[in-house]
Amino acid sequence: MNILHKINNLIFLFIVTTIIFSCETESAYEDVPPTIANIAVSNPAFSTLEEAAITGGVAVTLSNPNPNDPSGDYTVFAPTNDAFARLGLDENTLGVLQKDFLTNTLLYHVSNGNLAGNNISEGDMSMSALEINRRFISRDNELFINGSKILATDVDAINGTVHVIDKVMIATGGNIVESALSLNDAAVFVNPELSFLVEAVVYTELVDALSNPDANFTVFAPTDQAFIDLGTALGLTFTEPSDIRQLPQELVTAVLLNHVFADVSADKFTSELSAGRFDTLGEDTITLGMYNNGLLSVSGSGNMSPANMVIPDVQTTNGIVHVIDQVLLTNM
Amino acid sequence: MKVRTIIMFSALVASTLCFAQSPIDGFMKKKGKGSITLSQSMESYDEVFLVPEKVDRVPVFDQVDISATSLYVDYSLTDDFMIVANLPFIRSEGRANEANQENNGFENEREGVQDLGLYTKYRFYTTKIGKSKLDFIGSLGIEFPIGNYEVDEGLQSIIAIGNRSTDINSSGIVTYKHNSGFFATGQIGYSIRNNDVPDAFSNQLKLGYAAEKFYVDAYVANQISQDGVDILGEGFNGFFPATRVNYTRIGLNAYIPVVNNFGISGGANTYVAGRNLGVSTGFYGGLTYSF
Repeated sequence: MNILHKINNLIFLFIVTTIIFSCETESAYEDVPPTIANIAVSNPAFSTLEEAAITGGVAVTLSNPNPNDPSGDYTVFAPTNDAFARLGLDENTLGVLQKDFLTNTLLYHVSNGNLAGNNISEGDMSMSALEINRRFISRDNELFINGSKILATDVDAINGTVHVIDKVMIATGGNIVESALSLNDAAVFVNPELSFLVEAVVYTELVDALSNPDANFTVFAPTDQAFIDLGTALGLTFTEPSDIRQLPQELVTAVLLNHVFADVSADKFTSELSAGRFDTLGEDTITLGMYNNGLLSVSGSGNMSPANMVIPDVQTTNGIVHVIDQVLLTNM
Repeated sequence: MKVRTIIMFSALVASTLCFAQSPIDGFMKKKGKGSITLSQSMESYDEVFLVPEKVDRVPVFDQVDISATSLYVDYSLTDDFMIVANLPFIRSEGRANEANQENNGFENEREGVQDLGLYTKYRFYTTKIGKSKLDFIGSLGIEFPIGNYEVDEGLQSIIAIGNRSTDINSSGIVTYKHNSGFFATGQIGYSIRNNDVPDAFSNQLKLGYAAEKFYVDAYVANQISQDGVDILGEGFNGFFPATRVNYTRIGLNAYIPVVNNFGISGGANTYVAGRNLGVSTGFYGGLTYSF
């Protein structure tokens, strides 16, 4: 009986120990560093980026080593949810963007290899995976990439490095006219935008001038609503872009030229702009307000109130475009 | 003892029907005896065990709710040899927002007949030790997809109802029963799987009590995949069946006989640790007819 009991106990012990030893050990959940994609998914501050990466088809790409770089690494400048929200974008509204544009926009935030935070310095350029350069700017002892402030550096991932930024960076890959046209043709937003501006540029025969590949323009581009509001202010009704032709060509030309900095040798991101009065390609000047949270107001001498930037810092091949919510008026 | 044993047999059947639980228990039946069980389970999760961190939201789908209706049959060909069959119909629902459905073509529902499981179970040794009994049982089974559900729809497959793999499952079971009604079952198994699903080692320890009017048990079960990739980890290509799924799961089962060979069962279970798996908690209820 005693022996039987012992056997009994031994077998029971065997069962229990087997289970315990085969229980999940640390190795079952080993602490591997996260991938870039995993960082975006794990951090609630990047939930819009996560959805964008899924919609833009780069989530799986950023889960894996970079095949285009010997280090196998990517460097990603990751816009926070707040950065997307500046453009009215969140998980529910990303659908206003065309998928190809979204993908390209994401690629503009990615580069090959590891670019550590302490290797970034003012004036450096960095080639993106979209094959368009970004530039680093220093302002008030803070670093910017294009117009986007770098909020945090060197979040380590197994396949690269993440830096956090406060604005989404946008590059069109075309010149200023082509960029406006892609908005007009709904290649950026699902709905057309800048259609009145495109019409005005065509009407005033400024297409060639604004397509100059050797220039580095700084352009303020009024939205469609801005032109519609202008029509109303003038006692006209603008319902479609061609309605802009109700105004004399000389007047429209003068107004359009009032939207471009006279200095066409150096285009300016918001991070490079400060309050003051600036000469334009027209005969009048425009005035920038204080730099505040990455934005500046802008007004022409004929404006009752300053215009606000709706989409700042759009990189084109021959300049930088800041989309604004009012037409900048001259003293008429 | 006899009555209690019968109750125990019937009960164990029902307790094994939940999603991701081995359909093989540690009890045998007399020749010619068997049972049929219809069960309904529900489980839900909004957190996911990713590596290295658990995330508090299911990517794309926000939350996933899974319900399963299962048909389970077992039958004893001899006192020591049983056959078991199990077939679940599974419905998996996500909560992707409208924009996500429109932009990405994601759908919030996947459902269908999943995998048929066919098992044999053989008691190769039994011994009495005082007031206790010890059974050594071996089991071999196969599970294969019956329905035409999809698993390779990219991130849509977060709510896929299965892996579309054929699994060969073997396990060894030791059951200890005391006359008082207490019992313990230890089970160790290995599963060989195709369709890029990693092979997995599994085990389960169940402690319970079977009295004349009721049965109850508690268990802890583990699975450890032999390889595989992590979701959004290196090597992940969007194909979810290839992921390395590990877990520790705990649960409770209870059963009471009602009338004329019918009995009802119920239970709950949850994951306490895991890898590449929803942090799911579930409940089930079942109706068993024993003959």
